[in-house]
Amino acid sequence: MEGRAQSWVSCWHATPFTSLPVREEMMAKYSNLSLESHNISLTEHSNMPVEKNITLERPSNIELTCQFTTSGDLNSVNVTWRKGDELLENNYLINATGSILYTQYMFTIVNSEQMGSYSCFFEEKKEQRGTFNFKVPELHEKKKPLITYVGDSVVLMCKCQDCFPLNWTWYSSNGSVQVPVGVPMNNKCVINGKNANETRLKIMQLSEEDQGSYWCQAIFQLGESEEHIEIVVLSYWVPLKALLAIAAEVVLLVAIILLCEMYTQKKKKHSDDGKEFEQIEQLKSDDSNGIENNAPRHRKNESVGQ
Amino acid sequence: MALRAEPPDGGWGWMVVLSAFFQSALVFGVLRSFGVFFVEFVAAFEEPAARVSWIASIGIAVQQFGSPVGSALSTKFGPRPVVMAGGILAALGMLLAAFATSLTHLYLSIGLLSGSGWALTFTPTLACLSRYFSRRRSLATGLALTGVGLSSFAFAPLFQWLLSQYAWRGALLLVSALSLHLVACGALLRPLSLAEDPVMGGPGAQLANLLHHGPFLRYTVALTLINTGYFIPYVHLVAHLRDLDWDPLPAAFLLSVAAISDPVGRVASGWLGDAVPGPVARLLMLWTTLTGVILALYPVAQAPTALVALTVAYGFTSGALTPVAFSVLPELVGTGKIYCGLGLVQMVESIGGLLGAPLSGYLRDVTGTYTASFVVAGAFLLAGSGVLITLPHFFCFSAPTSKPQDPVTEALDTKVPLPREGLGED
Repeated sequence: MEGRAQSWVSCWHATPFTSLPVREEMMAKYSNLSLESHNISLTEHSNMPVEKNITLERPSNIELTCQFTTSGDLNSVNVTWRKGDELLENNYLINATGSILYTQYMFTIVNSEQMGSYSCFFEEKKEQRGTFNFKVPELHEKKKPLITYVGDSVVLMCKCQDCFPLNWTWYSSNGSVQVPVGVPMNNKCVINGKNANETRLKIMQLSEEDQGSYWCQAIFQLGESEEHIEIVVLSYWVPLKALLAIAAEVVLLVAIILLCEMYTQKKKKHSDDGKEFEQIEQLKSDDSNGIENNAPRHRKNESVGQ
Repeated sequence: MALRAEPPDGGWGWMVVLSAFFQSALVFGVLRSFGVFFVEFVAAFEEPAARVSWIASIGIAVQQFGSPVGSALSTKFGPRPVVMAGGILAALGMLLAAFATSLTHLYLSIGLLSGSGWALTFTPTLACLSRYFSRRRSLATGLALTGVGLSSFAFAPLFQWLLSQYAWRGALLLVSALSLHLVACGALLRPLSLAEDPVMGGPGAQLANLLHHGPFLRYTVALTLINTGYFIPYVHLVAHLRDLDWDPLPAAFLLSVAAISDPVGRVASGWLGDAVPGPVARLLMLWTTLTGVILALYPVAQAPTALVALTVAYGFTSGALTPVAFSVLPELVGTGKIYCGLGLVQMVESIGGLLGAPLSGYLRDVTGTYTASFVVAGAFLLAGSGVLITLPHFFCFSAPTSKPQDPVTEALDTKVPLPREGLGED
């Protein structure tokens, strides 16, 4: 991890978010917002409320359309729009064509309070509901805990697919206290990528206090979203202990194998020695017998021969 | 140590089989499962995958090119001290790799140091095994080599788990601890003195002798040709399947199917090699030809069932040719020169292994499909099996001696007294 060439501005010289003031200016200048249109179709037989999730990053004009198909009388259907539980009074149109009832709600979202769930209700015998859920882009990437060692350095990265937050913040919690992490603070330092959709938190000289949960927060004009990363800081002693234990086991195995071999060799040698001893004894006795016997035999032979 | 006339064919030999089993697991199983670490290295050092994969390539190259060194040292000092030293080197390499700060550091510690350790362990152990067995040599070798396949199964998930618990540095420390068991395996290799040992002389004399030994040289050429084609499916099968629009998961699964039929082939061939009379080289030729034919059939097979059947067959036949490949050598050069012989063979055949995969990749780049790669690989295997026909006694029907007459006549030339009653027909 140490000594990696940084492809962008080094940590200690980072002027955060240089590109973003320009963007904010741009945002103020451009009054023509984009238009988002979404629709939901309902019938009298829909037994589950229909929902649509919409991801919204910047202020836009919104056009929501609900259409309701029924075989009954369209005039008897009561149409309402709500935001959450709050009834919305104006800005919606109702139109009927054949057996389909259309209703359209147009509005603008410019801040985070205007985000949320907008629902259209068709009340006939049964209430049918369609819901549009507006959310800021999620960073949601479930990550496994990052294992690091004391003295190492680590880089935590948060990236937003296809979205460009105005701002990034990093929080860490040791225990339950949330401490915002600035640029730079102690051994930590935030670096932002060339693209605004990426941020990195570099932690150098890791120690056990740096262990715990970290959050990166992407701030949009319309809200925030977070991602959670966990860091585990181990001391080198943890795997080293296992290594030494296994090394001791290997030494023990080798000792057992070699001792067993020496033992069986000794036994063999003793039995060999014993055999040799017996053989020597036998030879000696044979010899002595031979000397004793030969003479008589010889004499016998001689006597026979004669 | 009492001078033995013949290999014991059992007894302590089975402990040597056990040792060889664990050693093949710890050397090749580790090498094959190292891919799990590559992803971590790519992220940690921010280097492209091609540069990271050099770590394993250097390790394999050092292991194979260093084999003659391991053999020469074993001839002089016996296998036990050499293998134990190799185990320490291999573990040391992994230990130092845990503190790496750059990719070069890893090339040196894992590639060079651990590679040298592996060079000192694998070849001497297999040679030692060949000395302990004669009638059941192929079976013993086959059983020992199953360690390679079985350990790849076990080590890949194990390494993954180690990585999730300790990150790559801690995991390398523990792989180092694992590799230390090579030392314990080495302790099991009791030295064995066979009848022809005093005759054979030191490693230098043996090496020179081998280089003038016609059948040995032909055999080396055959194995080099075989090695060139042998690894192609393992390297390129998944890519070939992806070309045929297979998904990555079933493609990887097919490779593990081959990994299952591989040890089955090894044991079956080992048993067959001992059961069938006649030179083992004939069986080697059989398995090599079959593997070559299977490789050549790969481009023709399009249907999934055909590909699965071919892969199972490839796993079986390619596994089957490994134990007999090791068993042919003692029949050619005798158990006295087995250490040096095996070392030289490993070194030369590795050239085939190193050239095979890039050649196959090059053919693919030039022609656009793997058809040419597979056919050429099959051709290399068939060429290798062709060279095997030129080995002595190939067409004999009687059982050859496991200690051929050549060392006897050579010994007489060098005017060394020989205990003749120790050598004879089995």
